[in-house]
Amino acid sequence: MKHLQRTLPAFAGILLFLAVWYGVCRMELVNPYVLPSPQKVLDTFLQMCASGEIFQDISISLIRVLKGFSIAFVLAFLLGMMRAVFPASGPYFEYLVQFFRSVPPLSMIPLLILWCGIGETTKVIIIVLASFFPMYLNIVKGFTGCDPKLLEVGDMFGYGKREKFLKIALPYASADILVGMRVGLGYSWRAIIGAEMVAASTGLGHLILFAQQMSRTDKVIAGIFVIGAAGCITDRVFGLIIGKLLKGRYENGWN
Amino acid sequence: MAGIKIIDLKKSFQVEKKSLPVLTGVNLSLPGQQITVILGRSGCGKTTLLRLAGGLETPDSGQILYDDTEAADPGHASCGPSRRMAFVFQEPRLMPWLTVEGNIGFGLSRKEKKDSREHIRKIILAAGLEGFEKAYPSQLSGGMKQRTALARALAFRPSFIMMDEPFAALDYFTREQMQQELLRVQEAEHCSILFVTHSIDEALLLADQIVILKQGTVKALYPVTAPKQDRNLLDPEFISLKKNLLRDLDQ
Repeated sequence: MKHLQRTLPAFAGILLFLAVWYGVCRMELVNPYVLPSPQKVLDTFLQMCASGEIFQDISISLIRVLKGFSIAFVLAFLLGMMRAVFPASGPYFEYLVQFFRSVPPLSMIPLLILWCGIGETTKVIIIVLASFFPMYLNIVKGFTGCDPKLLEVGDMFGYGKREKFLKIALPYASADILVGMRVGLGYSWRAIIGAEMVAASTGLGHLILFAQQMSRTDKVIAGIFVIGAAGCITDRVFGLIIGKLLKGRYENGWN
Repeated sequence: MAGIKIIDLKKSFQVEKKSLPVLTGVNLSLPGQQITVILGRSGCGKTTLLRLAGGLETPDSGQILYDDTEAADPGHASCGPSRRMAFVFQEPRLMPWLTVEGNIGFGLSRKEKKDSREHIRKIILAAGLEGFEKAYPSQLSGGMKQRTALARALAFRPSFIMMDEPFAALDYFTREQMQQELLRVQEAEHCSILFVTHSIDEALLLADQIVILKQGTVKALYPVTAPKQDRNLLDPEFISLKKNLLRDLDQ
């Protein structure tokens, strides 16, 4: 019952959205080329499913997202940990990181093509650039925000630097790290279009750009929905895994 | 453990580029297996003295002798095997990601945890935390959190426990219960306790000796010899002692 109470408004919201869309198309307020009707989009989507091309695109994009995301996470974690373990190292890279945070990853595309070619590497790097910063900032926040009063408990038991990091700072930061990972995963999906603008012949981003060139608005919309859904589902799965890991430890804001 | 000797201890803090002396030469002997209570108004340096004795701060000058030997590394005074110290802070300071059981065993290595399972069991019982071993700190009441913090200190089998107003945040009944518990544990484990409070009644109930700290130095020292188990604070002996303490604090 409680479950129903929560899902019902969500369904109502989606239904209303579809109804407005349907209504606008039905009353022919706009040219169907500008906004194809929901049925048309659904038909196109089913066709794409039937031919199987969409699944290939999804899996290729998913692999790119996961690759970029994992690399970005490892980098962000290592740099964040550096800041926590050797605070003196912070100033050496902090300003560089801040600088590159303000640079849109898309503006790097010309250089990346020049340096890394038009293969997978460039696409993965764009995703890394997009998802690194939110993760890095959250990880740093988690480590530097560690309550000194809890660290003092470690002092009291005679723990050294390494033990204090493993037993106090790391678990303390874990909630922030996981939030950062979740945000980073979202950014990875958002960067996929940019990444697949670079001479891709597969992937969801390519699907949308190709549809644009063919003037297939219905395919564009279907592609957008698939990307949104893929992002939502990976986020959900990630949330579930984390929820299991954190159990009832504290309010983690996952659900 | 013979106790701790504090010789001419000085400590000042920098506040907005001005040096603020907190301790101006403290000489004090904390005998082993006894409870020494430091009494004083807020801001008199009680907590600083406790943190210095516990090795959480380094003094500007002076010496702290543990078992009549100077701490080689005052920052890690609790490292030595013969010199195990535990702290109970004003706040519980529990790790929110650990269960009650995990928090109690926090100071122990894996091997120690295995070896002292029976000991930990007993402490959980004594602290009234039975049935809550798997609960997280956020699910506990304030009193239970503080009891967990006390249990964590005791599970470490310290020879010296530093306590910084550990019961200040508890209600009257819980506080009384915890004081009795502390006395029982102290008797059973023969540990020494340095206890900071601003409650005169608490000092009278717990202390083997009461130290009055004022303006960064020891103002007076009163030994209390009455047996600790059944002290009645309405006895004439305690009433006159209380008068003395109040006078010393007020001057």
